[in-house]
Amino acid sequence: MHRFEYHAPTSLDEAVALLKEHGDGTKLLAGGTDLLVHMKEGGLHPPRVVSLHAVAGLDGISFDKSEGLSIGSAVSMGDIEANDTIRQRYTALAEGAGIVGSVQTRSMATIGGNIANAAPSADTAPPLAVFDAIAQIIGSGGAREVPVIDLFEGPGSTVLAGDEVLTGFTLPTPPANTGSVYQRHTPRKIMDIAAVSVGVRLSLDGGNIGEARICLGAVAATIIRATEAEDALAGQTPSTELFAKVAELARAASSPISDVRGSAEFRHHLVGVMTKRCLDVALERAQEN
Amino acid sequence: MTTYSSVGKPITRIDGSNKVTGDSLYAGDVQLPGMLHCKLLRSPHAHARIVSIDTSNALALEGIERVITAADLPTFNPKRMSNRAYNLLAADEVLFYGQPVAAVLAVDVSTAEEALDLINVVYDELPAVLDSLAAMEEDSPLARAPVTEIDRSESKGHVSVDVKEEQSDKPSNIASQAKFSRGDVDQGFDEADCVVERTWRSAMMHQGYIEPHSTVADFNAASGELTIWTATQGQFFVRDQISNMLRMPETKIRVIGTELGGGFGGKIFLTQTLAAVLAKLAGRPVKIIFTRKDDLQGATPSAGCVVDLKTGMKKDGAITAIKAKIVYDAGAFPGASAVVGAILLGGYYRFPNLEIETYEVLTNKVSVGAIRAPGAHNVTFAIESHMDMMARELGLDPLEARMQNAVSEGDKMPSDVPYTRIGMKECLEAVRDSDLWKSRGKKQNGNGKARGIGMAVGGWLGGLQPASAHVELNGDGTIKVVVGANDISGTNTSFMQIAAEELGVPLEMVSVGTGDTKTAPFAGMSAGSKTLFTVGRAVKEAAEDARQQLFNIAAERLEANPDDMESVDGEIRVKGSPDKSIPFRRLAGITTGFGALYPPIIGRGAITARKQAPGFTAQVAEVEVDEETGQVTLLNWGIVQDAGFAINPLSVAGQMQGGATQGIGIGLWEEMIFDDKGHLMNDGLLDYRMPTALDVPNIETQIVEVPSEEGPYGARGVGEPSIIPGAAAISNAIEDAIGVRVTEAPATPERILRALGKI
Repeated sequence: MHRFEYHAPTSLDEAVALLKEHGDGTKLLAGGTDLLVHMKEGGLHPPRVVSLHAVAGLDGISFDKSEGLSIGSAVSMGDIEANDTIRQRYTALAEGAGIVGSVQTRSMATIGGNIANAAPSADTAPPLAVFDAIAQIIGSGGAREVPVIDLFEGPGSTVLAGDEVLTGFTLPTPPANTGSVYQRHTPRKIMDIAAVSVGVRLSLDGGNIGEARICLGAVAATIIRATEAEDALAGQTPSTELFAKVAELARAASSPISDVRGSAEFRHHLVGVMTKRCLDVALERAQEN
Repeated sequence: MTTYSSVGKPITRIDGSNKVTGDSLYAGDVQLPGMLHCKLLRSPHAHARIVSIDTSNALALEGIERVITAADLPTFNPKRMSNRAYNLLAADEVLFYGQPVAAVLAVDVSTAEEALDLINVVYDELPAVLDSLAAMEEDSPLARAPVTEIDRSESKGHVSVDVKEEQSDKPSNIASQAKFSRGDVDQGFDEADCVVERTWRSAMMHQGYIEPHSTVADFNAASGELTIWTATQGQFFVRDQISNMLRMPETKIRVIGTELGGGFGGKIFLTQTLAAVLAKLAGRPVKIIFTRKDDLQGATPSAGCVVDLKTGMKKDGAITAIKAKIVYDAGAFPGASAVVGAILLGGYYRFPNLEIETYEVLTNKVSVGAIRAPGAHNVTFAIESHMDMMARELGLDPLEARMQNAVSEGDKMPSDVPYTRIGMKECLEAVRDSDLWKSRGKKQNGNGKARGIGMAVGGWLGGLQPASAHVELNGDGTIKVVVGANDISGTNTSFMQIAAEELGVPLEMVSVGTGDTKTAPFAGMSAGSKTLFTVGRAVKEAAEDARQQLFNIAAERLEANPDDMESVDGEIRVKGSPDKSIPFRRLAGITTGFGALYPPIIGRGAITARKQAPGFTAQVAEVEVDEETGQVTLLNWGIVQDAGFAINPLSVAGQMQGGATQGIGIGLWEEMIFDDKGHLMNDGLLDYRMPTALDVPNIETQIVEVPSEEGPYGARGVGEPSIIPGAAAISNAIEDAIGVRVTEAPATPERILRALGKI
């Protein structure tokens, strides 16, 4: 780790002012489970680190049927995993948060950090996207909102400007009879990172599928929605044949690369298998709800 | 049957509580006044000429004391430079990605790391030789200048084989080779009803010890004394090597082998000489602690291997012939003992006809070293898969086919050396009777997942090296045992049991300590499954010697014959006359007190080991394979191992579970992945995957005891065999489950899907 300047502002205004003053090389520190590893071992040497630890008001979870779910960016993975409302109504998100790293990691890692780090394999990204989550952003130019699916520009890169802070997420209340799921493929059971991940939400309307979301992780430069696959589900009666066809559309939507975690062909194959499995689980959960 | 009071009992490790509470002192805990921290700049290229190194910017950084390059180091006889140990820093040419090029000495670790980025090295890249098979071709570019001399002194600590290996007479990437033959293989294959011919690949993998390489060196210029605190399995080996390299008398070198956080063959000798030289140059103590990345890029992992194997079997299960070519990828310096692989490949079964060629090939990768049973898992993956495939094709029971052909006492290895008494068949018998093996074919598949059970055996010859020990009577009548062996596996606990047994005292009366090279009696390195086998014998002999001294004094005091003495409950007494006794405390007084009548009691044990006691294991894997994703889940694992005599069954079972877990890692996850330029792609534990607690199933251990000739109480080496058959057992279980064979270890989901034709 190289020497760096450390700031611990006590308000968002102060944090934004620091970012504005010092420019793009500055890194924000939340849980530190990505940043510190990169600084210690990954060759990342920011001249300045601005900690958000002393900034109040970023660590709340609230739910209101009409307003939906609101999660502060500093909420830990462990708190999301344990939250009953999220487990019941936003199951995929609880699953994504609950599989990151180890117990120790989840106690430190924050949802804001997981998203702002912009790894295509981020475990909370597909779940947020399938619930149409909106990212809340504040900067020197004021506050703005960006849908999570539009937040990413590429691996490690988001639309956030150098003086902007991600403050939280809002997720609309899902319709009744909604089921959701997040699954990832990793060689090991835990302490691993997704080679392919899939988030699915199905909201039933009578016996048919009302609204469907399929979001794929780690198979493109950013998470991607498989919109053709989603469209093929809307208004349809769920069936094995339909799900097989949709899984194939999702597979076609992915454009994975070959790297140390698997070849492109392997990932391509898994997208089909996992989408099919996730559709089955999401349907079952939707029918139970 | 002899009954024992201390040996043969399960005892928790005496060093256990200190490890759990964090009170153990490791080399990394050593802090000395004025100590400097060293970080190594590593080569970003697999093969390149060093054009220039500019250290001026690094030196200008506040807190940097010295930046050392090869130009600052002592030079060695060019003949020695084929040996990795002598290449402290690369001089003109880098031979592998991660090879140290410069050393920074700073007041703290972070400053040292920062300075690494300020060193400007200009490289002239050279073609990297990465594929061991291509490297053997006559027209292959050379990975490095041909080797001039191969130093096998370190690997001999792991296994003793007396076979001459040959070196190539013209420039070649082949560092060493050997050939074994017996009978007529062509005729053997003609007689076979089933011939299987496949190529088996196993990856370069890492020992994966928890504690990275750690050394602190302090050179006292006034006295000329060098002190080294280091994580090593062989402190005397470190001392001897430094003495040879730096031409210092061993009287001036004190190596203190600190508590060790795992070694598995990979923690013998790596950074100690460099630390010593740097301390001497800087005039201040120097600490080198590797990061995990340092360890993965630049330690001494286990060789990758390709085995071309052809075997034949008759309908009745009799094996007829084996023909094989083994190629170990040694990386940039010799370090893979090809001979041992050949002996094991053709040495588990009585092949009447045999032809095995074995090669150690140099490439531009990090050079390899020992691991638990170096080279064994690679060849066992091949032969144990073949035994399964041949039995399967002929409709024979794979265990019975092994039993029918298994070696036993007197059978010859490919080197023509006959086996001493071994327990391979006893291990197979125990597996045959196990519930797990009997459950074959009786479990239901479910959820689109297929279940399968496979087994494999493994054997290891073991090392031979002399050892010595002291046993003393303390002033309060308790017992002190001093050894020079670094305890990597609970051996000191077993030594305590041995001393207590021989002296007839309770365990609480015995303490065991590992001294350093200045204070302890000599012991060979703790490797080759031989610490208890050799040092344990020395402790036993020393305890017997001390006992005799106690008997002699007690006999004189009690006016009895020394031959009539016995030691019971902390006193020496006349057999049959319990009232005629003298307690240890009293004996201590009259041998250590002021004006004592008798000299102190000091028992001496010094042995040399001449007869190997190979250790065998048989293991069973039960897997569940997801045929759509290729994911393998281990459901159960069984391991049977011949311990000869389990002096501490708890410790033996721990060794068995640990080795089996490493074997599982080799079978399913562990693989160092290099890109086409020779860069290591997975230099952290996220992508170099070792199994976690959730990935390893319940491991059922069963110890069988076929006594060795020389080991204490019949004990034989138990450390290494357990790692050997994992990959083969898994491969066999996978075929049992899904009907296809994965010929590459680890059996990743991707390789399974390819074998299934799904991608």
